[in-house]
Amino acid sequence: MNALGAAAAFESRRAAPAGPATLIAALARNAAEEPARVGFREREYGIWREWRWREVLDEVLALAAGFEAIGLRPDEALIVIGDNRARLYFTMLAAMALRAFPAPLFPDTPVEQLTAYIHHGAPRLALAEDQEQVDKLIALRERTGRPETIVYDDPRGIGAYDADGLMPLDEVVARGRQRLAETPGRREELIARAGPDDIAALLYSSGTTGAPKGIPLRHRNVVGGVANATLGGYFRRHEQLFAYLPTAWVGDFVFTVAGGVLLQATVNIPERQETALHDLREIAPTFYLAAPRAWDNMLTRVQVGIADSTPLKRRLFDLFMPRAIVVERKRLAGGAPSWVDRVVLALGELLVYGPIKDFLGLSRAERAFTGGEAMGEDTFLFFRALGIKLKQFYGQTETSALSAAQTEGHVKLHTVGPAMPGVDIRIDDSGEIQIRSVSVIDGYFDDPAATAQAFTDGWLRTGDAGYLEDDGSLVVLGRVGEVVRTAAGERFIPNFIENRLKFSPFVRNVAVIGAGRAELTAIICVDFDAVGHWAEQRALAYGSYADLSQLREVQALVAGVVAHVNATQPPALRVRRFVTLHKDFDADDGEITRTRKLRRNVIEATYAPLIEAMYGGAGEVAFDAPILYEDGRRGAVRRTLRICEVAA
Amino acid sequence: MFYRRAGIRHTSYRSERRLWPLPFDRGLVAAVVVLLLVAPLVVERLYLIGYLMPWIIWSTAALGLNFLMGGAGQIHLGYGAIIAIGAYASTHLARAGVPFEIAALGGGLASAVIGSAFGATALRVKGLYLAMATLAMQSVVDFLITHVPWISGGGQATLTVPPARFLGADLRVDLAAYYVALSVCAVVTLFVLNVGRSSFGRALAAVREKDYAAAVIGVDPFRYKLLAFWVSSFIGGVAGAVLAFCYYRAISPDQFHLDLSIQLVAMVIVGGLGSVLGPFFGAALILFAPILLNQAVGALAAAFGLGISADLRAHLPLVLYGALIMGFLLAEPLGLAKIYDNVRKYFLVWPFRHAPR
Repeated sequence: MNALGAAAAFESRRAAPAGPATLIAALARNAAEEPARVGFREREYGIWREWRWREVLDEVLALAAGFEAIGLRPDEALIVIGDNRARLYFTMLAAMALRAFPAPLFPDTPVEQLTAYIHHGAPRLALAEDQEQVDKLIALRERTGRPETIVYDDPRGIGAYDADGLMPLDEVVARGRQRLAETPGRREELIARAGPDDIAALLYSSGTTGAPKGIPLRHRNVVGGVANATLGGYFRRHEQLFAYLPTAWVGDFVFTVAGGVLLQATVNIPERQETALHDLREIAPTFYLAAPRAWDNMLTRVQVGIADSTPLKRRLFDLFMPRAIVVERKRLAGGAPSWVDRVVLALGELLVYGPIKDFLGLSRAERAFTGGEAMGEDTFLFFRALGIKLKQFYGQTETSALSAAQTEGHVKLHTVGPAMPGVDIRIDDSGEIQIRSVSVIDGYFDDPAATAQAFTDGWLRTGDAGYLEDDGSLVVLGRVGEVVRTAAGERFIPNFIENRLKFSPFVRNVAVIGAGRAELTAIICVDFDAVGHWAEQRALAYGSYADLSQLREVQALVAGVVAHVNATQPPALRVRRFVTLHKDFDADDGEITRTRKLRRNVIEATYAPLIEAMYGGAGEVAFDAPILYEDGRRGAVRRTLRICEVAA
Repeated sequence: MFYRRAGIRHTSYRSERRLWPLPFDRGLVAAVVVLLLVAPLVVERLYLIGYLMPWIIWSTAALGLNFLMGGAGQIHLGYGAIIAIGAYASTHLARAGVPFEIAALGGGLASAVIGSAFGATALRVKGLYLAMATLAMQSVVDFLITHVPWISGGGQATLTVPPARFLGADLRVDLAAYYVALSVCAVVTLFVLNVGRSSFGRALAAVREKDYAAAVIGVDPFRYKLLAFWVSSFIGGVAGAVLAFCYYRAISPDQFHLDLSIQLVAMVIVGGLGSVLGPFFGAALILFAPILLNQAVGALAAAFGLGISADLRAHLPLVLYGALIMGFLLAEPLGLAKIYDNVRKYFLVWPFRHAPR
């Protein structure tokens, strides 16, 4: 353990407040302390429906009693699948109250992949958001026999179903209310049932390599993790949260459910995924978390809007925005803005920065975070220059996502900040980051082999390569397993180069190839919106993504992006050739995971002819592109892709 | 730039339909109301009586006409006669000893009854024919007022308005008169604003767009056209009473001739058909542009020592005035209110051109 980590751990033990030990106890505390404060807010048909903490507790207890009545037993998983919905969150809490545990799944998982999630915790019951998920669960049941009972939230379209074991959530609530009314004292008993060692949620590893592993987060893990983050100042009490990230992702569980309940925040849920950006503006959250890609998209939206804007507005933007970025760069380097800068920034806040923050709905976002991948410098600087104090955090599902985060005043782009209070970080001899904290899980669910592999005397082996800087800031390079060598023996992490390529708004996905090869090549998927707009402005005609990707002008544009990244790379690690793919990588085709991580082996297998052609020196390659139709049939279409050279 | 919309959310449809959802708009409305309230204390009497009072009263009348023309799509070229009926009816009532509060309402009712009777022709005729029918009404009413001495007080005579009080305040005092006119204007404005988001307002809009299409969707055009004439004429009648008691204080038939009707139609069209803000802009332009242009031409002629003939000196402002109206309508056919709306939207989507995706 390094000295800094030890000091932080000591600090956390000394200062840890004696809060509730479980999320259910925290919920009961909220209902007692702040009964009239809004706990959840969900947009429905254009207006926001609110639940005060008193009502949240009532709803959760009714759901708990109802689920107990229909047979949810302790230590049993409850599948929860659907978009963010208040009642899905309530049900997750209700399952915890019964000492069962929710297993939230990504709503866009196809049936074939769902079969991987019915083993841990033997889920006999499932909650589906709507007809789409009910259909999938019925198909899943036909194949595997699980789940026996499917409870659904939105009854639309399900009225005519005659499948067995279908039940509306309203009925569960009604049964629960009846049971609560019949037995006095059951409310208190339900609140007291869960203990800190019970599992709060069963999440799954993304399955980048092989089958997903079950990751049980216990109450003490998430309670401890949130307490650590609060001590570090990353969380405050009474935040306005925006719950739009997939419920199956650890970030949503820890920040929305755990953070929301433990810190009496207001959880705001958008109407639909498609309206999330609009609804974000109606909420203006104080805490906002988004993947680097989402921040990039926001930047692209602003840039496209400005490019279309009137001359005066565009000139004002072009005048003030670069100034702010220069000042922010100076500030990050430790300098202080001059008084001229301050005047310019104040004027810019009125004319440019303020209105843009207002447009994005981030005018009140005092704590804005990003994590999961590296973030582009342009994006990072842009938002910080706007005055949104964007910071990077680092964590895994196994650590409740709360391991390290930047602190204001010590923000450096290439680091993810120091360990949070109560978190110990060490680097082992192979350069792997290892973590020890109360928020780290004890082991994988029912998988001693994987647990033994991932833990070494109480430390979690993250599998990430990195190092600690002198001030304790952690630098994450990439996955230890991703370090590969070229034929000449040069070590590199493809992901590192890919991320730098993806910093360009024109590149949506990219796979860099070169392990065991003489030089590097890349398969690049252009960004349909950004490149499409770029092409429209230059009057370049295209009919589809495939057309657009093969335009010579577009390929020249991408070549420019590659050359720009090459300039920062050692000569042996420069991308020499690339193809612009006729389609984007798609999770349905297995090329990326649901969290948009590349599945390198799948890509290398699918596009093997393409890769061989790039190393074979051909000018173009005819390629039978496999197609997976929505109904599950497979087909192929012959495509001719041009291989583009990048000037050395 | 000024409009901030982050964090504005609604928990009920009722609050979503509120009049001014944006804080900046609310602030602007509040500022205008405060300015109008303190105006008598800071503005000289000449400007109060010569500019603000007529502007407020003509705006009220134009709101009534706009309710009919912009709201229900029925053209009316005899609105001056409606105002005359209100003015004469209320004056006669007051002379008979009825208090002003009731006399003003009586004036409104008289206008409403007679206006609806003529408006009934709108059930048979549309467009230009309705214009002719309402024009006929103007002539009939003018003729009756002038030639029935019992109404006008004699052929060329002027009817003096008796001293009156509104809720105890003497209307001969300028301050009281100003606040009465302002309150009536405020009530009418709020009424018109709210009608727009009621079922009545939507029914009128349906009739405006196409009366038989409205009938198909279950809106009775007969009923709503008549109601539109009734409400609009009532507002005109009350405006007439306010005009007589607070501003003219002595009325004669020539104050309500066809040129008044045309002026009102001009206010509504230049201001913006169907807009609540429009009548205020329209009234301001129609009332003040001639005065300002006249002064400007005079000042320029004096400053540059141009020896323009008295004839040209008299007509040049009128030429410019006509050009000004044409210019505004060429630039924005939907009127001054639409120009304001364009400016507002320019700032509303700042720093973008339009609300981006």
